[in-house]
Amino acid sequence: MEDSIGGSSSNDNNIIKEQDRLLPIANVGRLMKQILPQNAKISKEAKETMQECVSEFISFVTSEASEKCRKERRKTVNGDDICWALATLGFDDYAEPMRRKSRTKIQEASTNQNDLC
Amino acid sequence: MRQAGAYSGLLCGGVSGRTGPHSLPLARIKKIMKNSGEDVKMISGEAPIIFSKACELFIEELTRRSWIMAIQGKRRTLHKEDLASAVIATDIFDFLITLVSSSESHAVGGATNVMEVETIDCS
Repeated sequence: MEDSIGGSSSNDNNIIKEQDRLLPIANVGRLMKQILPQNAKISKEAKETMQECVSEFISFVTSEASEKCRKERRKTVNGDDICWALATLGFDDYAEPMRRKSRTKIQEASTNQNDLC
Repeated sequence: MRQAGAYSGLLCGGVSGRTGPHSLPLARIKKIMKNSGEDVKMISGEAPIIFSKACELFIEELTRRSWIMAIQGKRRTLHKEDLASAVIATDIFDFLITLVSSSESHAVGGATNVMEVETIDCS
């Protein structure tokens, strides 16, 4: 969905922006369901709270990665910056699978890797 | 307490396998990244891909810890209070305390679960 500029009412703009602020509840709900036992149920409010938490997680990690880029005077936030930020913020378990993925990708691209992940 | 990381390796293939290469929309992740701050100018192509995986692991860990809270409350339905309790109990989730507190302030003060009636989404 593309943001409309000027052509919509403020309500439509607000609805669009609100939707864009969160990941889709169906995707989030499905991931939660896959982790829980078959007989578990998830309230809609729990799914909505998880949507908010995931968006906050993305913003939190992105801000940390972006600050690193600013200090190093780089304009583009890349995958290595995200991995570094995850590890820095205590999500080491998440950074490790990314490390392998990132290195494979780097090898394919035949570029130098600073072992940031 | 079992470590979530010990399980994420086992599940990551399954989750991705069931829902295609990415279970979360990359364009939406990129938009959220851009909205995180005005100094986020450019985002490389692989960053949202890495985030889609990291978000799966995040959802897995928070859901798992929330479920422990629900079980301790002798319930089979995950409520948002369970998420709030899991956030409060886990150090790496401390950045979420304000967010979960604002939606349910009494969850911070005590373990009492007042909301006995919940709408169950059976979809």
